[in-house]
Amino acid sequence: MKKIPLREQAIAWGFLSPALLVLLVFGIWPIAYALYISLHRWRIKQEAFIGVDHYVRALSDPALYNGFKVTFFYALGTIPAELVLSTGLACLLFKILRGKGFFRVLYFLPYITPVIASAVVFRTLFSPHPSSLANRFWGFWGFENQRWLYENKSVVALGLKALGFSTYPAWVDTFFPSLALVSVILYNIWVYVGYNTVILLAGLSAIPRQYYEAAEIDGANPWQSFCQITLPLISPTLFFLSTVAIIGTFKAFNHIYILRTPGARDTTDVLSVVIFDQIFQNHNAGYAAALAFILFIAILVLTLVQNRVLGRRVFYGD
Amino acid sequence: MATERQSSRGKRWLTYGGLGLCGVAAGLPFVWMVLASFMTEGETLRRVLLPEQVQWTNYALAWKEADFGLYFKNSLIIAVMQVGGTLLFSLMAAYPLARIPFRGREVVFVGILGTMMVPEMVTTVPNFLLINWLNRYSPIPWLNNWPALTIPFMASAFAIFLLRQFLRGIPGELWEAARMDGAGHLRFLFQIALPLCRAPLLTVGMFTFIGSWNSLAWPLLVTNTPEWRPISVGLQQFVSEAGPEVHLQMAGAVIATLPVLLVYFLIQKEFTEGISLSGLKA
Repeated sequence: MKKIPLREQAIAWGFLSPALLVLLVFGIWPIAYALYISLHRWRIKQEAFIGVDHYVRALSDPALYNGFKVTFFYALGTIPAELVLSTGLACLLFKILRGKGFFRVLYFLPYITPVIASAVVFRTLFSPHPSSLANRFWGFWGFENQRWLYENKSVVALGLKALGFSTYPAWVDTFFPSLALVSVILYNIWVYVGYNTVILLAGLSAIPRQYYEAAEIDGANPWQSFCQITLPLISPTLFFLSTVAIIGTFKAFNHIYILRTPGARDTTDVLSVVIFDQIFQNHNAGYAAALAFILFIAILVLTLVQNRVLGRRVFYGD
Repeated sequence: MATERQSSRGKRWLTYGGLGLCGVAAGLPFVWMVLASFMTEGETLRRVLLPEQVQWTNYALAWKEADFGLYFKNSLIIAVMQVGGTLLFSLMAAYPLARIPFRGREVVFVGILGTMMVPEMVTTVPNFLLINWLNRYSPIPWLNNWPALTIPFMASAFAIFLLRQFLRGIPGELWEAARMDGAGHLRFLFQIALPLCRAPLLTVGMFTFIGSWNSLAWPLLVTNTPEWRPISVGLQQFVSEAGPEVHLQMAGAVIATLPVLLVYFLIQKEFTEGISLSGLKA
């Protein structure tokens, strides 16, 4: 390797320094500080050093497990549905000649609408009121009115009830996601499908046309060319989107906080909401820091696992 | 032959049908928000579909009641500072990461990307304590003032990543030619590379703008007077105070949405171009 002149090195660090300073001070230093805080009793001010007590307490805290469970179902409900839907939409959009720009703008609309504004709209659309849009749609198919964002019963329990089973074991209600959480998931899908579609469309446009022509000559049907050409060639994009989505669902806060209702109880409280409550309701900064650290480690582990498992199946070309 | 043409026409209808259906789903809440913002309170309670008479006064009422003028001004100032700072600092940081093979480059790049994984909840409390400290010891106050709202957000890993992707694609001959003419890295970046980066810069700017416009928890934490509070906080308070007055809530929501919408329509083309970079291999 050629040796880089010292002057070049200095210039490089000079260019980097403003951004690095901001990221170090407000992005990396706080991690160390959070660890320090989590090892102390810390209400408004720093109190005694208590070692790993907060972490021990967290391990037997039902709120932590509930937070993990809700986050898990939230990720499970959003990420696969979003990726499948947006891949389908991007393929359709790719095919058409007229109106591409129009649909792209339309699909992107939910993403650029401020979260507060769209969440307020969803609160009204998914209200338990018999004439709310969600209930009207539901009623159109002959179903009973639901309480949507205000419902803490699980969707499985509601389904069993609708099928006529009046009794079911209690764990059906406590284990599965509530209808309120499913409503939040619908909101999330609504926001992100358009964003994913726009990025996937860019990935599709980069695939050389000749591949499809060659496949057609070989007698491949559309489904075969999709599986053999499209999917492998957009797999880097899908991988990128799923990485961003997994990190995103674990960090999600704003819209879940705004869509939270008293009726849903803790069934929509993802981990960040649990931590937020510890900071602002209980003013327990020390314990909140410990919970936040556990969340951070979970994100790290998940991203590494995803890189190992999915990363290998990504096709980067020759 | 005729049947083949028919089947392709049928396929086209199916394609547009699918796209249209999803389009309705994407646009419906938005359309409903606009419609409801023009209704009377009675109409929102009866859940009619269309307002009988367009109630422009809703906007005047919401604007006045919630002091949106002040919040609007605050949000705009905060957004402009955040976008300006992020663009400048991220472009400068992305340049050596893309084009100068200095020692430790990989480590720095991975470290920067790593900050994307840190949840806001980890950094909130330490940063709040840090801001308190800065508030006490720096020459200008940080709390209830613009520094706390803008400076921590002036560098973003995503922006650096996207701009680096683009800068890497600039042909080396361009740099060789510039160097022949006696230009250094600084001149090359700002006079030659910068004009080429229009699309990715506008894309990064748009994302920063959306993020700044959405931020809620942090502004609530570092301000305790309306003086510097942004529109997200204003709207949130207005919504919780307005109670059941859906028509006014929706008017407020439309007001808060308009600036983002306007900016998006203005730079739509570059945004589509720039966003395509984010999915490419690193």
